Amino acid sequence: MNQMAAAIEATGVRKRFGDVEALTGVDLHVAPGTIYGLLGPNGAGKTTLIRALVGLVKPDAGELNVLGTPMPNRSLLDRIGYMTQAAALYGDLSAEQNVSFFASILGGGDVEAALRFVDLWERRRSLVSTLSGGMRTRLSLACTIVHRPRLLLLDEPTVGVDPQLRVQLWDGLRHMAADGATILVSSHVMDEAERCDRLGLMLGGRLLAEGTVAELLALAGTDRLEDAFLKLEARAA
Amino acid sequence: MNPRRTFAITRRLLSQFRNDHRTLGILFVTPLLILGLFALLFRTDAPVPTVGLVVVSSPVPQLIASGLETSDALSTVRVASAADADAKLRNGALDAYLVLPGPDAEGVLRPQIVVEGTNPSVAGAVPAALQRVVLDALSSYAPSLPPGVTFTPPRVEPQVRTLYGNGDLDVLDVLGGPFIGLVVFLLVYVVTSVSFLRERTVGTLERLMATPLRRTEIVVGYMAGFIVVALVQSAEVLGFGLLVIGLYNAGSVWLIFAIELILALSAVSLGIFLSTFARNEFQAVQFIPLVVVPQILLSGVIVPVSAEPDWLQVVSNVLPLTYAVDGLREVMLRGADLSVAVVQRDVAVLIGFCVLLIAAAALTLRREVA
Repeated sequence: MNQMAAAIEATGVRKRFGDVEALTGVDLHVAPGTIYGLLGPNGAGKTTLIRALVGLVKPDAGELNVLGTPMPNRSLLDRIGYMTQAAALYGDLSAEQNVSFFASILGGGDVEAALRFVDLWERRRSLVSTLSGGMRTRLSLACTIVHRPRLLLLDEPTVGVDPQLRVQLWDGLRHMAADGATILVSSHVMDEAERCDRLGLMLGGRLLAEGTVAELLALAGTDRLEDAFLKLEARAA
Repeated sequence: MNPRRTFAITRRLLSQFRNDHRTLGILFVTPLLILGLFALLFRTDAPVPTVGLVVVSSPVPQLIASGLETSDALSTVRVASAADADAKLRNGALDAYLVLPGPDAEGVLRPQIVVEGTNPSVAGAVPAALQRVVLDALSSYAPSLPPGVTFTPPRVEPQVRTLYGNGDLDVLDVLGGPFIGLVVFLLVYVVTSVSFLRERTVGTLERLMATPLRRTEIVVGYMAGFIVVALVQSAEVLGFGLLVIGLYNAGSVWLIFAIELILALSAVSLGIFLSTFARNEFQAVQFIPLVVVPQILLSGVIVPVSAEPDWLQVVSNVLPLTYAVDGLREVMLRGADLSVAVVQRDVAVLIGFCVLLIAAAALTLRREVA
């Protein structure tokens, strides 16, 4: 595998849960060291796609290569950081205990650096059950990045985080990308979308449109990203 | 009080029940299951103890023996020698045996009653039946004797000996040991199933599945954690039982410990396994009356497995608790160690169940959604 190979390469990925077709043929290409934003309304298939990328969902059809290896593949998982939508943490452990637990499962990491990254070092001894919703989201992110993964999959990582800290977190993510990590973020928030290198708009289980912010604006013929998405969605419907 | 608001709560509750079929099932099925088991266990007639008779061929002992043979309280078999009877008592073919010698030099009849000793109801039944039969038989005994000679019934002084125990094992001694195992099993099950369920509902399990952890590593890691808890709990309960309550124990405390530990490990795996089928803590706790209580009833702790209807014995014999109860009794009441075949069987079966449950628990932890 050479350095230019894609961090994520999905071709025709399909997944059906009973009557619901969650993914209807996703083609996705994410280059290493980039931040890729996955946008789309609820139920568009963003979470299912992310879960397929960590091997929690087995596609019915299609090919899925992550960091140059076909998924699912257990041995690859210590190079991936996966952050679930709900802050999945142990409520009766302290912030620090949560991060070091995940560090030891993922083969080590810098607990202090991870907690400082999300600005929770001062609160490291607090039990998770005493933290606010935004703090829990940040702690969840700390657990995701503690082992310095090559690929970060973040499912709505900034829900409940106040704007000032959100800017700080994005700066941090940008640093990680500059170090060569690839980051896939799903989001609802448009001002976040503008910070991504490339964006993909998901609707009805597939990628509707894809490109840089400028490319998408040009495609829709608008100058605001929000309008662009509404237009592209309406055009597809 | 506003009736509309009040009834809104009532209606909402009933709607929730209607949407939760499992709770409905548990509410309406488990009472029948448990009550039915009670009926099967306690309506069956108390088992009649089987008593071996070792009788010398002399008129009075033979008379007493035939009296005992017609008694409803006992089921009797003739045995050739005391040694033979002893062996049969040890392997469980007999509940007691009675050696009836002829009258001794003083004309006193000294029957020896040897009871197994771990079942308080049998221990009392044999001497009582003998007493009754001796009185009946001898009072109606009218041999044809020369005139002037009167028959004086010999004095009867039975001597009761127990094979196991100190002769005064009470119900607590018999129930107490196995209950130690049951308490540990029940509590470890509850704690594991609830904490594992929390792992599922909070989403940390999903997170663990997105790491290189193997599912057996999760199950074994959980077990090791609960071994620590179960060890402390077993030590505490056992210490309380032996030292404070004064439960009878003739066997090795370490072996009791080992059996409890294997039982606790089965409980951990069972908890993980069953947590798959529950959507919340409430449902996990609901499994107790459905899964745990019938196991306890069928384990032979209260009513011996041999006293159950035949088809129910088949069920009892495939449940792990049955072997734990049997093993704990063998060790505590009979002083059995690992060289005894029954204990070997019990421990082997328990380990087998444990391995089976670990596999079942690991299988429920699927990484991928099908």
